Amino acid sequence: MNEFIEQFLIEARELVAQGTADLLAAEERPRDAAAIDGAFRAFHTLKGSAGIIDFAAMARALHAAEDALSQVRSGAVPLTGELIGRCLTCLDQVVRWLDAIEATGEPPTDAEPAAGAMIALFAQGDSAAPPAAGPIAAGAREAAPAAFESWLERCLATASASKARCALAYTPAEDAFFRGEDPLATVEALPGLLALDLVLDAASPAPEEIDPFRCRLTLFIASSEPRSQLAPVFAGLSGAVEWRDLAPPAADPGEAAPDAATLLIEAQIALLRGPRDGGFEGRRASALHAAWQVLRASGRALEADALERLAASGATPERLAETLSGMLAGAPAASAAAAPAPPPEPVIADIGARSLRVDVERVDALVRLTGEFTVLKTQAAHHARLAAAPAGSGEAARELAARELAARLKSHHEALERLVGELQHAVLGLRVLPLRHVFQRLPRLVRDMSEALGKPIRLVSEGEETQADKAIVEALFEPLLHILRNAADHGIEPAAARAAAGKPETGIVVVRARRVEDRLAIDIEDDGAGIDTARLRARAAARGLATPDALAALSEEEALELIFAPGFSTRDEVTGYSGRGVGMDAVRVALARLGGRVSVHSRPGEGTRLALSLPVSILKSDVLSVEAGGQVLGLPLEAVVETVRLPRSAISRIGAARAFVWRARTVPLINLSQSMGLAPAPSPAPAPAGEGEALVVITRLDGQYGGLEVERLGARMEVMLRPLEGLLAGLPCLGTTLLGDGRVLIVLDLEALQP
Amino acid sequence: MTVRIAGDGTLHLDGLCGSEEAEALLARLIATPGATVDWQGCTGAHTAVVQVLLALRPKLRGVPASAFLARHVAPLLNRPPAGGAARLEA
Repeated sequence: MNEFIEQFLIEARELVAQGTADLLAAEERPRDAAAIDGAFRAFHTLKGSAGIIDFAAMARALHAAEDALSQVRSGAVPLTGELIGRCLTCLDQVVRWLDAIEATGEPPTDAEPAAGAMIALFAQGDSAAPPAAGPIAAGAREAAPAAFESWLERCLATASASKARCALAYTPAEDAFFRGEDPLATVEALPGLLALDLVLDAASPAPEEIDPFRCRLTLFIASSEPRSQLAPVFAGLSGAVEWRDLAPPAADPGEAAPDAATLLIEAQIALLRGPRDGGFEGRRASALHAAWQVLRASGRALEADALERLAASGATPERLAETLSGMLAGAPAASAAAAPAPPPEPVIADIGARSLRVDVERVDALVRLTGEFTVLKTQAAHHARLAAAPAGSGEAARELAARELAARLKSHHEALERLVGELQHAVLGLRVLPLRHVFQRLPRLVRDMSEALGKPIRLVSEGEETQADKAIVEALFEPLLHILRNAADHGIEPAAARAAAGKPETGIVVVRARRVEDRLAIDIEDDGAGIDTARLRARAAARGLATPDALAALSEEEALELIFAPGFSTRDEVTGYSGRGVGMDAVRVALARLGGRVSVHSRPGEGTRLALSLPVSILKSDVLSVEAGGQVLGLPLEAVVETVRLPRSAISRIGAARAFVWRARTVPLINLSQSMGLAPAPSPAPAPAGEGEALVVITRLDGQYGGLEVERLGARMEVMLRPLEGLLAGLPCLGTTLLGDGRVLIVLDLEALQP
Repeated sequence: MTVRIAGDGTLHLDGLCGSEEAEALLARLIATPGATVDWQGCTGAHTAVVQVLLALRPKLRGVPASAFLARHVAPLLNRPPAGGAARLEA
């Protein structure tokens, strides 16, 4: 990809983020001129950039939004939530285009339809919006509606009515002829003209008093083309146009029978409204999938996407059925405009930012370090020469030389250690990002969730300037998203319930970040209903996670932990095409992979708080190396409690598993090479564990003890881990590093090894 | 171009009738009320001309050569005046 496009992408993504923030700020504070100005400037600059890289479709789409915002700025049009939603939808499309450019290195060639859809999105709105400059024929305009309506009625009763996509009443200015306009010629040139009527204004002068050059006509027109195609024709003409958007024909003629599409969608609506029995979730998922396919096949991609996002945001089946009915009733523009409701797919690229902003001082510090390393390098060369050609001869002289060399090497090593420490520190400092990077994506999502669920919710974030390693900051997005979804869906009550409980109608979710020593603490707190532990216990029992007695015996804190249990998810969200598995268990696992922890606190009726604790940087780890199956493997030291030699007689079989007793606990035992699928070493060379003994590393994870049988123990090391990428990313490993002898050490993710 | 008077008093609209013809047509129609307007040779008419026809409603003869006029404008002008070109209520 050329540098030009790379730069464009970086700046465009920043502009999108800025524009989103400004739009949401403007929604919160409609009187804040700075917010609207900022949003306008973002669209304006994006439009300009699109022009520079010759991406005309994107420029046109952005122009439509820019126009709308300009009208708000000038006070001609009020700022509505709907308009904000449309602008946000436009930004979503821009992000999709940016992703396409990132993937292929150039603007997509098939962007026209999407651009057209964006323009149409902004073109609809008040049907009485005047498109052109020029004097308005006052009297005619006010009286037009009645005559227009009755003409429209008669018109739509005719055979060609089904093709009509829009109708308009066009009243040119009185001096239109003097301006050189010929209204009939304009109409003649309109595409898809179905019906025309001409009406004179009410005045009826005697023939002698008629002024032939004064235009007294209003033209009623019906066309098979939608308003977006016709409106540009009237731009620049005098007079006024009153528009009526009409129901579209079902699907393309010539494609598969439109009725089939309608019938299919109706069937899905019926499924969604069907009985909620055991099979309901499955039917819901397949109904959504089918509806999505039908909409796409009928060329209604915008609506298909809107449906998908609505479903992904967790809308109720009833809401989904309603939306589908609305789409069927053929208000495509309306439902496309309702699209702002659902949250976007991670359209906001999950591909981490490929570039970093770095302070100049940090780079200077690295340059200095480079200098010091160069000095050490020269010294090493010197030592090598000394070692190769020891001064003097004779046993004693050689021994003296050797001792001196050893001393020099030792101090050299110390210097290296110091410098490497500084280098590590400096490099990690480069990768540091403020949490703002991930926090700024949240308000938009919460807004979308709030609309999809019909509950007013506000997001407050604190501590966005707190810094952490880029990898951690980026990896936080998905877990935060899940947590916010849960808060919006289950935590915050509907407005009515909140009012009844004496709470303010708008629910608040606070995301708070701060640095606590060498860890990052993030709290997500909502003022909702709290978690009902009785329901948790009941659900756990229903899913067979434990016996009812065991569940009843849990304390309140322990019961809260149930939300983290695998398979506990309170809602099945796998819709097939969104394909997201959720649940707090996924959140815990994701955080653990980063070296983080999460705990939950709740006060019934008052709210829930999730407390996350994460390392500030993930790259440095303490590791215990072990050998198993001929491989050297690393175990995270923080999980290691002890290493023991067990006589084999102390190991019992329990079914297919093994266990042993250690400090009055029964601990399960896993053979590491077996569980890693490694071949057992042919014959352990110097029998590390005697014939009757097993070498076991005792680990502790989340309070659970386990034993790992290994063949040999190695050293403790502090290593810088490189995360596994690409094909290897799915392995149960925290990362890899190189050992001094050149071998690769794989550090295991013990949680992932659990059976 | 033109509004032409035939021998029998019929007004003929021939070719493209521009806005400037509207005045002449109006004058002719005032001078000879009841005259028939033959527009079979009319290949196009400016709105001002059509507006005059709409206001005075002379008898029209023939189908205009212009497809647009024939399809969309002629039916409006041929409607019986009583039920009439819809008038906007004041």
